[in-house]
Amino acid sequence: MGVTIVQHYPMTENRTGPQVIEFLTKRVHAMGAAQAGPFLVDCETYNSAPAFGPPRTVHLLNNSEQPATVFSILESGQKQVPLVSDPLFMDLMKKLGSVYTCKQQTRMEAKGPRFEVADFLVKLGTVTMNANFKGVLVEVEYRPCLVPAACWELLREFMQGFLGTCVPNQPPSYLQNRMQDIYQPLDTIQQYLDQFREYRKAVTVR
Amino acid sequence: MMSVEPLQTALSCIRTLRSNVGVAFEALGNGIRSDHGEEGKETKFLFELQDLLTVVNNNLRDVEQSINNLQPPHNPFNLGNSGFLSHEYAQDRQALYSQLVQSYKWTDKVHEYCSLAHAQLSQNSLTRSYTNTSSAKRRKIQTSSHNVLPIHVDKVINQIERLLPEMNVNIQRPFASNVILHVSVGRVLKAIIAFKGLLIEWIIVRGFSESLDLWTESRFKVFRKVTENAHAAVMRFYMPTMPDVSVKNFLTWLHSFNTLFSDACKGCGLHLRNAMPPTWREFRTLEPYHEECKP
Amino acid sequence: MAQPLSTAIDTAFKSNIVPDQEYLLQGSILDTSVEHLLHRLRGLCDNVDSGPEQFQDHEMCFTIRTTPTPLSLRVRRALDHTDMPWQLRYIGQPEYGDAKRPTIIRSSIDIGCSASVVEFLTELGCRMDFEYLARGYMFRKGRMKITVAKIVKTNPNKSQDSMQLISESYLVELSVLAPRGQDAIAEDMRSFAEQLRPLVNLDKVDYKRLAHGPP
Repeated sequence: MGVTIVQHYPMTENRTGPQVIEFLTKRVHAMGAAQAGPFLVDCETYNSAPAFGPPRTVHLLNNSEQPATVFSILESGQKQVPLVSDPLFMDLMKKLGSVYTCKQQTRMEAKGPRFEVADFLVKLGTVTMNANFKGVLVEVEYRPCLVPAACWELLREFMQGFLGTCVPNQPPSYLQNRMQDIYQPLDTIQQYLDQFREYRKAVTVR
Repeated sequence: MMSVEPLQTALSCIRTLRSNVGVAFEALGNGIRSDHGEEGKETKFLFELQDLLTVVNNNLRDVEQSINNLQPPHNPFNLGNSGFLSHEYAQDRQALYSQLVQSYKWTDKVHEYCSLAHAQLSQNSLTRSYTNTSSAKRRKIQTSSHNVLPIHVDKVINQIERLLPEMNVNIQRPFASNVILHVSVGRVLKAIIAFKGLLIEWIIVRGFSESLDLWTESRFKVFRKVTENAHAAVMRFYMPTMPDVSVKNFLTWLHSFNTLFSDACKGCGLHLRNAMPPTWREFRTLEPYHEECKP
Repeated sequence: MAQPLSTAIDTAFKSNIVPDQEYLLQGSILDTSVEHLLHRLRGLCDNVDSGPEQFQDHEMCFTIRTTPTPLSLRVRRALDHTDMPWQLRYIGQPEYGDAKRPTIIRSSIDIGCSASVVEFLTELGCRMDFEYLARGYMFRKGRMKITVAKIVKTNPNKSQDSMQLISESYLVELSVLAPRGQDAIAEDMRSFAEQLRPLVNLDKVDYKRLAHGPP
């Protein structure tokens, strides 16, 4: 799996979500992109019962790029523990129902079309929380390269080319400490989770 | 010459017998199964066993019959000197005969493949290996590039590896003499290079996460382009009289792809053109250029 | 993918294709006789050519205080194949049934996972009860799995040298993991167990009764 950047695309006053997606689709097509199916990333959040010691949160995320894997991220105080596992782990979480409960209204989802441009993979995601529109996330993956430090400049040039000035000159904060490491699917999930947190905090569309 | 057909029938009879004996013993080994049900399972099991044994009996009769149909050969087979092998009584030497047959088959096959390969290769006039018929010319090239001692090849390659910090080289000899080189450059790319002596015959460049083999191209467009350019570079650096220099120059050139994703093009100053990084390296200066920007 | 993974899993459970039932028979054999058993198993089982497969696993048992009954989870890793994923396992209460039922049935969910699982479970609120090593041989016969293993106590604070054997016998387990409602396999297990008598007596072992000593 190549280095991936998940980028928030700010909404403007006079455009709706589908309009933004359509606008970006046109731009991606102009770069010679071919559509390659849909994608979906979703996140369910479980909270520990108040009687069960200090509060803990478990996020369960799926990415359609890794359909047979569940990524779980446990937050306990300042500590974060990730777990990569088979999908049956979701069934186990249900068995812990008396301690950890899932709030349906915080279910987040990013889904939309997926494009290939040479070795790049571009995904235009509509973000919804419990079926309410929250904003637009753009994911760009450069598949041949495994080390973020080696291709950040190249990715930035690519993204600024079709997203404009909303792309910062610095890599996402999560990646900044991991620029020399080999990129893992979990790193994409962490970026999505960081973005989903921002969307949850936001009162209106971002 | 006796006819082969009865012999074939006899052999296939023996095969059937062996297989059915196997089936009978397996059923016996498994014992009573749940599909025998509850009622009278013992008798059902016995009946099944009886049926199987009847089949075995019939097969045995077939074998005996087909053996009776065989005619013993009139005169002994002419096996040449290998015929004396059967007079050997020492247990550990008896295996020789089957090995002899195997190696005979093998040499036969090699001979066949060689003649086919020769016919193919002699049609290709662009090859750099020897298929020239002029013997004087051939001898001259042979001494310089593809007929090199393995120790010398290892030495040359190891020396070059020491000069290139980001390059990791693994020498393999899957077919005895010629080297297949597995190269990785930084954490960017891997390449597999087939040598003939010290002459580079073939190269495939693939991504760092991909597995290597000699015939499959990379999944990624960028590495397919680099492979293409590497083939051009092999030609460019080819020096029949100084093969070690040509290998060194080529590997140095390949090593410069360590910055494939981080270098901007010298021509246009950008990283990307048509969504591709600069895949061309100037042969002398090793400067990066896009395919479209190269001077 | 048209639907989220959670929906796909629910559908899989509803259509009974998830193997979440374990059929189990247990027994033990003295160290001195284990060679005979291994010999017989080699003859009876499928992987004859390759010989018995050896394994060495480290197992840790966790519990979490769920209501009404605490939930027990097991983490297993292969010490001889360190590149393999770790295994997280939920095992439900065993059902013994009456004398007619040939095997123990217990619900079981097997989950392959990353090595961070121990830290994950600890932070989740699980407590480790005990741990041990199991090393021995594994056989396969159709869908049945037969393990003959020695149980070794480990001391988490000390190195591997300080391990002590629990007993002078091997634990023998015959198990099948199958989706709900495939009870025919239990009969096959019983007939297979018959063939191992009198070397080893594979039976439904009731732990609760064991805890109270012999009757």
